[in-house]
Amino acid sequence: MNNYFLILPILFPMITGALLALFKLKGRKLDYTVLGITIITFGLTLAAVLNGGTGLQLLNITPLLSIKFKVDDLARMFSLLSAFMWILAIAFSFEYMEHEGNQTRFYSFMLLCLGVCIGLPMAGNIFTLYMLYEMLTILSLPLVIHSFSKDAMKAGKKYLMYSFFGASLVLIGFLFLNYFGTTLDFTIGGVLDMVKVSTNPTLVLCLFVGMFIGFSVKAGAFPLHAWLPAAHPIAPAPASALLSGVITKAGVVAIIRVTFYLFGVEFIGGTWAQTFLLILTIVSIFLGSMLAFKENHFKRRLAYSSVSQLSYILFGIIILSSTGLTGALMHVVAHSAIKVTLFFVAGVIIFKAHIHNVDEIKGLGKSMPITMWCYSLVSLGLVGIPPTTGYVSKWFLAQGSLGLANQVIGYAGAITLLVSALLTAGYLIPIITESFFPGKDFDYSSVKKLEPGWTTLVPMIILTVITVVIGMFPGPVLQFISNITKVLF
Amino acid sequence: MEGNKMLLFLAFWPMIGAFIGYLIGKKNKNYRDYFGIAVCAIELLAVLSLFKLVSNSNPITFNWEGFSGFRIYFVLDGFRFIYAIITAFMWLCTTMLSHEYFAHYKNRNRYYFFTIMTLGATMAVFLSGDLMTTFLFFEVMSFTSYVQVIHEETPAAKRAAGGYMAVAVIGGLVMLMGIFMLYTQIGTTDMAAFATAGAALNDKSKLFIAALLILLGFGSKAGMFPLHFWLPQAHPVAPAPASALLSGVLTKTGIFGILLVGSNLFLHNAQMGLVILCLGVITMFLGALLALFSIDLKRTLACSSVSQIGFIVVGIGMQGILGSHNAIAVQGTLLHMINHSMFKLLLFMSAGVIYMNLHKLDLNEIRGFGRKKPVLMICFFLGLCGLIGLPGFSGYISKTLLHESIVEQIWLFPTYSSASTFYQVVEGIFTLSGGLTTAYMVKLFVAIFIEKNNTNQEKMDSYNKKYMKPLSMIALVASAVLIPVFGLFPQQTFMKIAAFGKYFMQGHDIAHAVEFFAWANLKGAVASLAIGAILYVLVVRICLMSKDENGNTVYVNRWPSIFDIEKNLYRPVLAFVATFGYYMCTVFDILVNIPWAIITHGVTHAINLYPKWHHHKSTAKRIEHYLDDHYNKIIASSLTYGLLATSVGLAILLIVMLFF
Repeated sequence: MNNYFLILPILFPMITGALLALFKLKGRKLDYTVLGITIITFGLTLAAVLNGGTGLQLLNITPLLSIKFKVDDLARMFSLLSAFMWILAIAFSFEYMEHEGNQTRFYSFMLLCLGVCIGLPMAGNIFTLYMLYEMLTILSLPLVIHSFSKDAMKAGKKYLMYSFFGASLVLIGFLFLNYFGTTLDFTIGGVLDMVKVSTNPTLVLCLFVGMFIGFSVKAGAFPLHAWLPAAHPIAPAPASALLSGVITKAGVVAIIRVTFYLFGVEFIGGTWAQTFLLILTIVSIFLGSMLAFKENHFKRRLAYSSVSQLSYILFGIIILSSTGLTGALMHVVAHSAIKVTLFFVAGVIIFKAHIHNVDEIKGLGKSMPITMWCYSLVSLGLVGIPPTTGYVSKWFLAQGSLGLANQVIGYAGAITLLVSALLTAGYLIPIITESFFPGKDFDYSSVKKLEPGWTTLVPMIILTVITVVIGMFPGPVLQFISNITKVLF
Repeated sequence: MEGNKMLLFLAFWPMIGAFIGYLIGKKNKNYRDYFGIAVCAIELLAVLSLFKLVSNSNPITFNWEGFSGFRIYFVLDGFRFIYAIITAFMWLCTTMLSHEYFAHYKNRNRYYFFTIMTLGATMAVFLSGDLMTTFLFFEVMSFTSYVQVIHEETPAAKRAAGGYMAVAVIGGLVMLMGIFMLYTQIGTTDMAAFATAGAALNDKSKLFIAALLILLGFGSKAGMFPLHFWLPQAHPVAPAPASALLSGVLTKTGIFGILLVGSNLFLHNAQMGLVILCLGVITMFLGALLALFSIDLKRTLACSSVSQIGFIVVGIGMQGILGSHNAIAVQGTLLHMINHSMFKLLLFMSAGVIYMNLHKLDLNEIRGFGRKKPVLMICFFLGLCGLIGLPGFSGYISKTLLHESIVEQIWLFPTYSSASTFYQVVEGIFTLSGGLTTAYMVKLFVAIFIEKNNTNQEKMDSYNKKYMKPLSMIALVASAVLIPVFGLFPQQTFMKIAAFGKYFMQGHDIAHAVEFFAWANLKGAVASLAIGAILYVLVVRICLMSKDENGNTVYVNRWPSIFDIEKNLYRPVLAFVATFGYYMCTVFDILVNIPWAIITHGVTHAINLYPKWHHHKSTAKRIEHYLDDHYNKIIASSLTYGLLATSVGLAILLIVMLFF
């Protein structure tokens, strides 16, 4: 039963990350070592998760407080996603981190976070999940405050406060579930003991809402979103990319676990809790897009966009249908690839052209064509223009929404998705047009070649290609997702 | 991937060709231009090679399951075949003109790349047999053609392109919403199933809304009222070859969608027909009026496109209203679509010839350019005759059919009933719009080809005999020859085409052949021409011209700027909505932030600040001071808080475990 191999992809990057601080590696040697570690980690993850249906019980304090890992398709998807994105982010960091400095510390914490991110989706019970979730918060803090500037410190503080508050909501739920549930291991269909629940179903629903909101802090959803636009932009670009593109997904996977594996669709479906959370996510979708639309700081605009896009995913989850969850999981893939690329592009623009604000971007497509082409294609993906990944996920989300029993919310959801897509176009597309069509009087002689080196370009190109190719041929991904959804519904 | 792969080739060959052309263009610009022509020529030949396989009862198909989550599904029936030929032919002509037209342009490689990409996408839209496939390529087409609109990058072009993009994105999303609803209502997006699925549905109210949304989405590309405003701005600012394509073909992709709704989903539905008819009538009249007032050559042509699209939409509306007696309306619609593509190709290319010499489009500045340039003059004249519907030219045929369809509806009612009056008014507006068409086209023709330039006629004459190269001339003449042929021998040529393409609109056979050259039918055309002549003399010569300070007559723009609905209605409303939404969101944002601000400050205060109270005076100062000086401590304190929270949590956990 116990497969100790599972612990390897979790511990390997964490241990090597910690050791990294001891060895005084410098320059390219350091870069390539770290890249090597992430690639090995990816291989280990692949080997571990493909080793079908295995579990691992590591530590058994009491039957309640045990550290348990279990691999199912959901865990496979999220763990592999993290492991893959990290390779690209590390490759991107080579050139970028030269101007930020303190690479050793940065890489150490990157690797520590990687281990946690791989482990978190595999958590087999709520205690393990909670523990890893808290670890992730603390270990990703140094990435946020990397520059130690005034703003970074403030943002870091905000990040901690919000995350801990969210975690405390989760903790409350955790404690009560011990009473209301039969077990705390994640079980398909929920763990609730219906006899006990029937004494006070409202309380249990409140617990669910609390846990949902608590975990949604990591995903930056309204009402606990305020830390995200502060913390994500302030981090170095590769870290922002991972924070927005991958680490937020830890919140998503936690919410999926809570919704489908602890409380269960049957219990939540059709209750006020579902309606309330639907409304909350709809508000969040609109709010994020709207604030992004009016934001001038490039990275902050992308961060607000994350607020909105992650709410698409949460919305898809709380629809509680197979179609909705398919849309949500598809959007996990789409948003990861797209947002990571967008933050990479923002990083390139910062360290090559020294531009932070959107209104200074004019003519950039002439000096860094490949970068801006990547930007353009993934932007269209985020808007949901076919044939890109964003389009596929939007279709499923909207179909899920229209399939809701509550028609008013169903239509409101679908319309909000499209309004938000319009706003997304409004905050991403002008950047494309300004950079590629600077105007007739643009001085072409002033154009300098600002294209970054290949280690920076390759990750962006890979992700752009993924965005378009999965958009054209989503079959295998949808097949994989259907494996996840079909056991749940 | 099954079916005839030729259809896939038609859609993707230009897209591949665009890439190859781009690479060639990096090395040699001339070869790139010729390669572009070759791509279009191969495309045209490929379409023609399928002629034997085209069939309306059992069309060849191509199906690629799973693409983009759905499928790519192409069908080649009569209608699609006709439009595939027109698309390929128009691209060929304009690409031939482009070689000379763009000789001194920047970023030509970009232009060629996106133009040829657009060919593939447009072809795919016309071939599509599934609404999802249509939508997919429709969006691709919108974005690639954007580059054509903005190509010149002048402030006017950038503004117009912004409007184009906004309408394209909004239109696309509105359409997508319609498709969502359509799919939940009838459960299919296969066009062949639309007519039966639409008829089978009992409660049509939601389907009606879905259809209206789809109509609006496609209508925005066609330039249908109320989303027509971008067209008179975007088409003129694009380079002339691109304008010809935008006006001639891309608007027809919009019409294609309107046909899906009007003639398939809501087949023979009088309600939907009436909605479409009303939109068509407004578009038809408004476009013609705008064109009459315009004093810019390409803008006039673009407004004329709006008006002609209106004529086509009227035909689609009449199809629904006439129900199963729609034969004449169907053929009129189809023929007018073909006609408009031909005319606009010719007229915009003529405008392009003028522009590539003078780099001006204002009627006062290009006045007299056409004198003593017979080829250009004859080509333009043919386009004019066709557009105003002069008997003997192809425009007359389609307009007569459209007119007949309205008259047919009037006959169905007893005289002087209110319903009959309504259709008589429609007929009146139809004739009046025809008159306006005559007036603005004569205005253009007189200004360019007959009148002398006020200031510098010698300069205009200096271009004689060298204003265009042979390649451009071939393109121009090739696009002109069919107009009189179709017009003079309608039964042998034009009506055959109509009979071939009518199945897409579920049209029946015409009961008896229409006598085009009988007085009853000539009457309508004569009325239009007479109204046009009167309008030209009374309105154009008297109201729309005035004397400048040198005593010369000049054309003036008397269109009141208050009627600019984009500037005075859409932009302010959108700006207001955006600002309002933004403030709402900001308020929300701040409201949810307040408790956390208090908590954060409160906690740091409680843990770290308390012992230092006596150092500072006011609380606000204290916090400020604190924030200024002790950033590391803030982190430390929040870590402390975190650990505190964790340990409290663990303590509670322990208690729970012990006692429950």
